Amino acid sequence: MRGVLGFLGPKLLRALVAIWLVTTVVFVVMRLSGDPVPLLLPPDAPTSEILRVRRELGLDRPLPVQYLTFAANILRGDFGRSIHFREPAISVVKGYLGATVELGLTAFVLAALVAVPIGLLSAIRRNTPLDHVAMGVALVGQAAPTFFLGILFILLFSLKADLFPTGGRGEWKNLVLPALTLGAFAMASIARVTRSAVLEVLRADYIRTARAKGVAEWIVVVKHTLRNAALPIVTITGLQFGTLLGGAVVTETVFSWPGIGRLAIQSIYNRDYPVVQCAVFLSAIMFIVLNFAIDLVYGLLDPRVRPKA
Amino acid sequence: MSQVTRRELLKSAAALGTAAALSPALARTAQAQTTQKKELIVAQSGDISKLDPHFSTSSNDIRWSFNLFDNLTSRHPDGKLYPGLATEWKLTAPTTWTFKLRSGVKFHNGDPFTSADAKASIERTYSPDAKTMVATVLTTIDHIETPDAGTLVIHTKKPDPLLPARLAFYGGQIVPEKYLKSVGAEGFNAKPVGTGPVKLGSWTKDDKLVLEANDAYWGGKPDFDRLTMRPIPETAPRIAALLKGEVDAITQLPADQGERVAGNATTRVAGALYAGLYVLAVNSKRPPLDNPLVKQALSLAVDREAVVKELWRNRGIVPSQPIAKGDNHFDASLPPLAYNPNAARDLLKKANYKGEEIFIETTVGYLTNDKQMSEAIQGMWKDVGVNAKVEVIEYSVRAQKNREKSFKGVFWSDPTSTLADPDGMMWRLLGPGGPQDYWRHARWDELGNNARFSVDEKARGEMYKEMTKIFLENFPWIPILQPYEDYGLQKYVEFTPNPNQQFEIRRFNFKFKRA
Repeated sequence: MRGVLGFLGPKLLRALVAIWLVTTVVFVVMRLSGDPVPLLLPPDAPTSEILRVRRELGLDRPLPVQYLTFAANILRGDFGRSIHFREPAISVVKGYLGATVELGLTAFVLAALVAVPIGLLSAIRRNTPLDHVAMGVALVGQAAPTFFLGILFILLFSLKADLFPTGGRGEWKNLVLPALTLGAFAMASIARVTRSAVLEVLRADYIRTARAKGVAEWIVVVKHTLRNAALPIVTITGLQFGTLLGGAVVTETVFSWPGIGRLAIQSIYNRDYPVVQCAVFLSAIMFIVLNFAIDLVYGLLDPRVRPKA
Repeated sequence: MSQVTRRELLKSAAALGTAAALSPALARTAQAQTTQKKELIVAQSGDISKLDPHFSTSSNDIRWSFNLFDNLTSRHPDGKLYPGLATEWKLTAPTTWTFKLRSGVKFHNGDPFTSADAKASIERTYSPDAKTMVATVLTTIDHIETPDAGTLVIHTKKPDPLLPARLAFYGGQIVPEKYLKSVGAEGFNAKPVGTGPVKLGSWTKDDKLVLEANDAYWGGKPDFDRLTMRPIPETAPRIAALLKGEVDAITQLPADQGERVAGNATTRVAGALYAGLYVLAVNSKRPPLDNPLVKQALSLAVDREAVVKELWRNRGIVPSQPIAKGDNHFDASLPPLAYNPNAARDLLKKANYKGEEIFIETTVGYLTNDKQMSEAIQGMWKDVGVNAKVEVIEYSVRAQKNREKSFKGVFWSDPTSTLADPDGMMWRLLGPGGPQDYWRHARWDELGNNARFSVDEKARGEMYKEMTKIFLENFPWIPILQPYEDYGLQKYVEFTPNPNQQFEIRRFNFKFKRA
């Protein structure tokens, strides 16, 4: 137990500091970026009207006072009220979480299921046409801007081939194109990292030994190679998962998917401080939880990083 | 892109002479001209933010609040005022308007509509307790009386010839007094109840807004059971959704995409000349823009025809004055604003212009083509020797500068004519204390003020004529064009858009073509 605490304790502390930093930076940057009030009122609203709304939203108080109130409220789970929607920020963000997780998870599963076998095959069949094609496609997947890819998919698979809808959320068909678009980058980078990690391991002495002993090739690949190559693969996969959950703005915009990335960007444009703060806070938490999970998986995979009992 | 396949199919069929292959293809195209649909799906570029009509003036919101709610008066696509919840209105004394209200109208929850609702609704807009976002719209009103359930008497502080027009636009949507009181402002925003042709079904943010037809609508049930709005922020997917038939209508169709929609076998473009102008508003306080000669030169140096033709594919007209075509007191005898680079150079010399920087502050996409137009105009101004600089700013920075009146030179604005009258456009924006108050002229101010409070339309016409003359010597705005507001529609949708983005869908302007 002590060992586990020693393993997790510092990480937990670092995570808390990270969350505090993120929320503080967002708080300050949002307030530096401008005033939400002129965006709410008609362009010909007089100054008195603007002052009244500022007062009502508490934006007329000194910044340190606003910050302390904000911090105290967060500790109670209160992110304030959305300036734009006029309802609690947390309930606004909650409405978007389902769609975000649905898309992020699908893209992630798609990416991982396709990318790991491809990377593995590429490494085993190194320098064959299969390897070249797979890595070529991966390079394109990594280099093509999401925006371009999304529109291309719509034109090809939606307008031309009439297989999937152009956008929106609904049945599984609506999920295919955005998940492919979003997963493309992750897929490509996971495949490339898998390939190089596996290649590295394949050169190791114990693999040569295993083969020399006459161990069946599939056991060499799955047990000896993949397990030893797992650390970088798990790292990149976990990081990509975090990105998929938090950074889907472009995909969400192209496919009019009601996700949290689009909400955050729109809220930044609207200077809707509470919603931005809440969305960033939740994204940061998701990211940190994922990192935690990766650390735990490390421990499972590699005895060397396990806490000493 | 399915029309390409269809065309290819037609071509090959004709080549082979197989009439059998031809007929199904033709039938499909013919079918696309009519529909049996009971749901109208409209895509716009952004989601709504609020359903309470008194808490937003953004065009993405008012498109829907004007359908959930009715106003006392209604401005139809022909630009004229028609009866709404009021059947007739009269000026009964210089400062008194009397409205006869429609009887037998019910709100979506079954409550009858009476003069008490109209009174409470209008008073709510400027009541300090209600804290609405339309508090400045109806401030000419002094007090309101309700002699009976079907009569509303509005007393204004001074004569207000435009009160019926003001009541037709935002702020004028009528909300139910009793229901609003019982559920409170927040409850009302979540579950609004109006008298309009549709009532709220459901709203999933950034996904869809579903409105159900109001069978008991006083103006007749619209030609659908359900009206759905889908926000599709990007232009390309929005057009793809239309071409594929996923949506029946799209708003904000850019001029350069019109051919694509019009060239498709099943879709078409419908437009209305925008009730307003696209102008470069000028900070006339900042030298050298405080010199009218410099501003005259800037105006003469802009080749507006090229802008309209190249950047707008002719979906716009060259303005001749600060009053939008279609508005009261538009002077049809004036010629389009001239392009004369030589005269511009002479004027600059005469003004003793020494190459001072003149900034064009532009957003990217706040107005259609704003950045492209800025760059084109920068080139035109450089041609006559003006040291023009383009600076790109973000939308919210623009809003801030607008509020602080801190623009450095010229900036894009799309003054909307809220009342179909110069009072609701140039006087509202350029008048003393207005949001674009960067230039003052004693005579112009006197005329604008007199015209606002005069109920003699002929005299008002004369005043606006003189104001236009002064305007064209001083250019507090440099008008660039009056564009069309375009919509993409399925061919089976018959819809006449309103010039002021109001997007009221009623029986008089919308119908599905049935087989």
